[in-house]
Amino acid sequence: MIKKQYSGSARRARNIIWNAAGRYDFEPPFLAFFPNGTGDNYFNMVIGLAEKWLGLSRIWDFFALYEGDRRADEFDEFLWLGLENCVYEKELAERPILAQLRRERAEDFYRTQGMLSRQQMELQSMPVYTQQEARWAEVSGRRAPPLSPRERRMADALRFSGTLDADGVLNAMAAFLRDFFRFTPDGGQHTRPGGGALARFLLRHEHRRRDQLIVRTGTGEGDHPRAVSLRHTGLGRHVGPTEEDAAYIRAVFGRSLLTDGELRILESELCVGADEGCRLWIAAGGAEASADGAAADACRSAALQKARNEAFLHEHAAMVRGSVRQLSTRVDTIFSSYLRHLPEPGRAGRIRPEAAYRLPVLGDARVFLRDGEETEPEICVDLLLDASQSRMNSQEILASEAYIIAKSLEKARIPVRVCAFRSLRSHTVLEVLKPWDDGGCEGVLRYFAGGWNRDALAIAAVGRLDGDAILRGKQRILLVLTDANPNDSTPLAAAGTLLRREYEGAAAVRAAENTVRALRGGGMRVGAVFHGNTSHLENAHQIYGHAYVRIRKASQLAQGVSDLLLMLLRETRTD
Amino acid sequence: MEKLFTFLESEGVDAVLLDGVRDFRGRYPAPPELADRIPDPEYLFYGKKTWELALAALLAGKNLLLAGPKATGKNVLSENLAALFGRPMWNVSFHINTDAAYLVGTDTYDGHAVTFRPGPIWLCAAKGGFGVLDEINMAKNEALAVLHAALDFRRSLDVPGYDRIDLRPETRFIATMNYGYAGTRDLNEALTSRFAVLDMPVISEENLQKLISRRYGGINVRIRDQLARLYGELERKAESAEISDSALDLRGLLDAIALMEQGLSSGDALRMCVVNKSFDAYERGLIHDVIAARIPEDLKKSDVFDA
Repeated sequence: MIKKQYSGSARRARNIIWNAAGRYDFEPPFLAFFPNGTGDNYFNMVIGLAEKWLGLSRIWDFFALYEGDRRADEFDEFLWLGLENCVYEKELAERPILAQLRRERAEDFYRTQGMLSRQQMELQSMPVYTQQEARWAEVSGRRAPPLSPRERRMADALRFSGTLDADGVLNAMAAFLRDFFRFTPDGGQHTRPGGGALARFLLRHEHRRRDQLIVRTGTGEGDHPRAVSLRHTGLGRHVGPTEEDAAYIRAVFGRSLLTDGELRILESELCVGADEGCRLWIAAGGAEASADGAAADACRSAALQKARNEAFLHEHAAMVRGSVRQLSTRVDTIFSSYLRHLPEPGRAGRIRPEAAYRLPVLGDARVFLRDGEETEPEICVDLLLDASQSRMNSQEILASEAYIIAKSLEKARIPVRVCAFRSLRSHTVLEVLKPWDDGGCEGVLRYFAGGWNRDALAIAAVGRLDGDAILRGKQRILLVLTDANPNDSTPLAAAGTLLRREYEGAAAVRAAENTVRALRGGGMRVGAVFHGNTSHLENAHQIYGHAYVRIRKASQLAQGVSDLLLMLLRETRTD
Repeated sequence: MEKLFTFLESEGVDAVLLDGVRDFRGRYPAPPELADRIPDPEYLFYGKKTWELALAALLAGKNLLLAGPKATGKNVLSENLAALFGRPMWNVSFHINTDAAYLVGTDTYDGHAVTFRPGPIWLCAAKGGFGVLDEINMAKNEALAVLHAALDFRRSLDVPGYDRIDLRPETRFIATMNYGYAGTRDLNEALTSRFAVLDMPVISEENLQKLISRRYGGINVRIRDQLARLYGELERKAESAEISDSALDLRGLLDAIALMEQGLSSGDALRMCVVNKSFDAYERGLIHDVIAARIPEDLKKSDVFDA
């Protein structure tokens, strides 16, 4: 689940920090940027070197001591100047280029200074600016700015020596704040107001950094204990679908891909037992014009959500590209074993007895069959998205994850179809967002959440949608993106009793489990990408057995989905 | 091949093992008609421990599986081993289409009759060669099943419709495989059990320095050390999945030095041979950042090489 997504420049900054630190197993608490938003590579390297030589956690702990002080930003910048000198001296022998990079950073100081607006200049902290100018003038060999005796002492104090260890640096930091600002960590101090608040370059603590938190559509927060969930309200309506319901479904989801006759046959096979009285609707999307106000509202919401999904994808283009690349590479590797080589005649290989006569009679040596260059995949994948109301807080995230999976499979030349499912007014609607023969995956962005989810019926329906020529001779894989919490307003049908049982809880889970088992019995491989609350994890296990993965953030998607596919294929292999 | 023995002695490889190899060479002289199949390695493999493990396994009559990530010198070591033992080498690059017929041999028509055209494994078995099964885990398991009898105690190769041949005693197979790397998968247990598995370590900074110095004798020591560290940093970045393996290319780094020797600036040489190995613009940026934090862009030949 995407909770936070870093912009491209932030990821690059983190990489520079990790590289300098020589470790990748920590999350940098600071990132450095210039005021125009581009990464400050030199200072990011300094941050990494601070981790390498001193340990960032102790520095961060020290910074936290003045967290609430209004001069906190100013203190940060002073101290980072001190740290810069220290780690520079420590690292120089090992990394001679550092001297050159430091000089370039000094030149950057003067260059960016000239580009600041008057307002930005006015917002700068002058004491910080003076110290920075003093440092960079010295590094670049320019004439030093005139300094008062106090400023000179500050500049000297900020040359933390490279011989200091972590304790020594912390002592130097504490001494600097005490001597020049009468700040002591234990509380006594605060005799002088600080300077300007805006950093000339931004060194931020974790909680201040500009993460792009997904905050719209629903809450955008994904699943949490108070996430959207649907509850039955007692003995409410259930009188079976009416013509009005059917018209509503048609108005919102467009015409059915199946003819009336085909639908009736499908319903007669699937809408039995616990699902008796339910209806199916297999749609390609595209609402029909309708005078029904509720339907028109739903269509407008769907169009709005599509725009949001597209904007989200655009906003996270770098992440999406990276995920597609990772996943398609993995998928390509996994599925390469399942390419069927089309045989072609050759002069060597397996002899064709029926053509053997051609050797002595015609002198034709092309009586052998060999595996040709041309291949076609033996596998096709159905992606089924839970589009019920409970997914309301994660619509853009789910749409983008489905897009990544579909795009990756397409890239690996694996036929993929994407459907969303929800139940409304006793209709379980399968909306085909991307058909087999559509190379583009943009249709997936039509995904929106709304309605209930009768998982068992939807999964069974997808299992039966196998008339396409593209499926012939192929092994089918069904991946369900689900919260494993089936729930429908149409109750479970129970023959011979007047007592009604709601479609929820253990009974609904058991129904889904039985459907998955039946599909597997028929040769289909079924797995799930679980996005739900921990409280529903047990449901996922019950319905899908071991064949599910839990994805908590986008960076896990490629690994999770490829592991799942591998798991499913290993079940499949007979060789 | 005396230079290889000298090199290994200077690296401190166990003299008993080297004597064993000399004895092996004495017992199994290479057939003169296959002399051109005995490799003359361009690069030497550095890593005393790895050498000792490999020599011990081969002297004991075992087949070797060299497993490790990209750029750990698996092929260099295979070639070095064939050269040291003085055996003709057949290198079979495995791929997804590799089948049993390709490995062992297949039917063909010689103008008069359908005859057997031997494959590289058959030739290796019959001629007492070293068979290098490169990227063995790229092939489907069913294609590899044909090798089982050749690789275990039976040491024989049965060609359906033709004869069974016994492997010559000096025949060895050295397989290589990547793991955790695009295009590869696990080797099945039946096959793995027929090899002594050598987990190839990533080349150490010290050994990379030696490798660079041996290849480019005149290189400035300071620059050499920075290049070796640069490689280590790229390796760590790839290992942590921030970049793909594409830029983690030892050959690329050595090629870059060769281009600097030709007069190209360090920036251009490293761009051509390292950065541009990635076809993703964003990833190229990350790789460039690592290089920029180690090697100045504008080093000239005179900066890189001592007079």
